[in-house]
Amino acid sequence: MNADQRLAGNGDDRDPVVEEYKKHIDRTLLRENLKRSPDERLRELVRLQRFAEEVARAGRRAFGR
Amino acid sequence: MTDFEGLLQALVHAGVEFILIGGVAARAHGSARLTQDLDVVYARDSGNLERLVAALSPHAPYLRGAPPGLPFRFDAATVHRGLNFTLTTALGDIDLLGQITGGGSYTDLLPDTGELELFGVRCRCLDLDRLIAVKRAAGRPKDLEAIAELEALREERGS
Repeated sequence: MNADQRLAGNGDDRDPVVEEYKKHIDRTLLRENLKRSPDERLRELVRLQRFAEEVARAGRRAFGR
Repeated sequence: MTDFEGLLQALVHAGVEFILIGGVAARAHGSARLTQDLDVVYARDSGNLERLVAALSPHAPYLRGAPPGLPFRFDAATVHRGLNFTLTTALGDIDLLGQITGGGSYTDLLPDTGELELFGVRCRCLDLDRLIAVKRAAGRPKDLEAIAELEALREERGS
């Protein structure tokens, strides 16, 4: 096996670090998102942003930070 | 909070040639992650620089994180002299990228894009394979989880 072949490995370009992260991905969320259109996915992002802002505001009101 | 709808509509209505990348592109592909800013790769021809400036100037663009009061002018000459800009605007944060690591310019990326309708306007978005490739090329540790999710999405689509 020459140097180029060793670098190319077995043709599998998977990154073991990424594979480790992948074990912790909640695929149920992804499957739900894939049922939506891209436009619906973006509108959901906006809705979640608003929700996160409201939670942060409530936290500041409650805890004064 | 970034007004993604407002920013996209401003760019599209001004006729700016751009490609969505980053977190919003990932979201359009089905990512469940939240993102705070809009990342776009823009075409660098002079006509497009003029349109880009016309689109964003009404929204008070300024260098994000820079101290206030700098003599920053968002005009075509400034964009021509520079390449990548991280800006804050009245509509929220936007990254204007003339070139990206592992992806190159607007023209280089164009074959790997698709057209999407978002918030009532049509715009170009980097396809999932290229999005993964450019995130890998960027080599930032903070992207590892995002890459894992995008690869999982690709697997889910194929299954």
